[in-house]
Amino acid sequence: MNDVITFKAKDYKSGVKPIWCPGCGHFSVFNAVTKAMAGLGMNKDDTVLVSGIGCSSRLPAYVDSYGFHGVHGRGLAIAQGLKVARPELTVIAMGGDGDGFSIGGNHFMHACRRNVDITYVVMDNEVYGMTKGQASPTTPMDWDHSKLTPHGPGVRPFKPAALALAAGAPWIARAYSGNPNQMAHLLAQAIEFPGFSFLHVLSQCITFCPQQTDWKAIVNERQDAALEDEDEAARLFLHEDGFQTGLLYQRQRPTWPPEAAPPNDPDLTGGFRL
Amino acid sequence: MTQTDLAAFLAHSVELESEARERYLELADAMRAHHNTEVADFFMRMAHESGLHLEEVAQIAAENALPDLKPWEFDWPGEESPETASYEAIHYRLSLRQAIQLALENELAAQAFYASFAQSSADATTAELAAQFAHEESQHAAQLSVMLKELPPDDAHHREDDDDPHMPE
Repeated sequence: MNDVITFKAKDYKSGVKPIWCPGCGHFSVFNAVTKAMAGLGMNKDDTVLVSGIGCSSRLPAYVDSYGFHGVHGRGLAIAQGLKVARPELTVIAMGGDGDGFSIGGNHFMHACRRNVDITYVVMDNEVYGMTKGQASPTTPMDWDHSKLTPHGPGVRPFKPAALALAAGAPWIARAYSGNPNQMAHLLAQAIEFPGFSFLHVLSQCITFCPQQTDWKAIVNERQDAALEDEDEAARLFLHEDGFQTGLLYQRQRPTWPPEAAPPNDPDLTGGFRL
Repeated sequence: MTQTDLAAFLAHSVELESEARERYLELADAMRAHHNTEVADFFMRMAHESGLHLEEVAQIAAENALPDLKPWEFDWPGEESPETASYEAIHYRLSLRQAIQLALENELAAQAFYASFAQSSADATTAELAAQFAHEESQHAAQLSVMLKELPPDDAHHREDDDDPHMPE
């Protein structure tokens, strides 16, 4: 953290202009990221944003920090490797619902289980936008706006928070692109949480899913404290409508990798003797 | 909003004008990238005007020690600062009329915000400044209302796209 220079949110913008569609929820996430960085006074040189592929995965290019625009679905693998190799860095992984829950679905589950101290932001617009609007793992069953699924995908959508909980994520929150200030606050808490923090963002796709502008009327902010009990959280995540925002679940557990005990024998070569 | 302290008021005013400018700049760039030049130019003009107001507010604020508020610590009447255009209201096929209407709503929201300070503040300097800012916002709103009146109504097909992103069967 930087105690000398105070940056405003706009100072964390790289100057590369986003090419998202006007009205895209990812603009709001971009704003929330820069606001969280400003609010925490984060040092640009100690921060790395890692992404996969998709509209949302363009975000690291727009932030004035280190960034890695990775391979489809593999942002989490890169981010975890980076954090383990360079634990002093603040590592934020990000991507979309297709990148995170389909192509990178297995990495998501194991990242929740492994609990490396990183933050993962999923910008969920329930669609593959970059490839012009195909159904993703979170698309409603009856969404029939794609030629690939003219009668809807016919498959029940993932419940990302439930999936994260079942896989062991210790910090789960949800934000909405219509409220970037709440999102920035949640993101700041996620960054400060010592462990794997999962921020699920309802981020509207104005172009392929214009009906998502209705989310504004549905989204509701959780008033209660975050749940600590896994059973209670499981009941919430399995039965809620998916539009409750706020910090939903938090229960600290040891991070990975465990701290190695100092060697008894200062001669490290001893461990390799036959 | 219950804060009546001058420093808190000025901190909010600087943030309000700064966020309005940033959002208009962002929207102008996004509209230009999507070839909606007419609306891009309008948003750029709004960004310029917000910038002028920001300069004025920042000059007054420079004489005061402002509280160091984090972005989520500002006490706004809604989710974002009042003069900031909401993302849900934006579409790449936005007409100039719709863009002006949006900007008008932003100006009126800012005016209401400043007016509430002017009415509720127990501090005379704060109330006076807030009333001045509210008046300036009302002038901006009046200019936009005139622009709206001079514009012809939107073509019923203005949102149609030769390469429509939707491909339903």
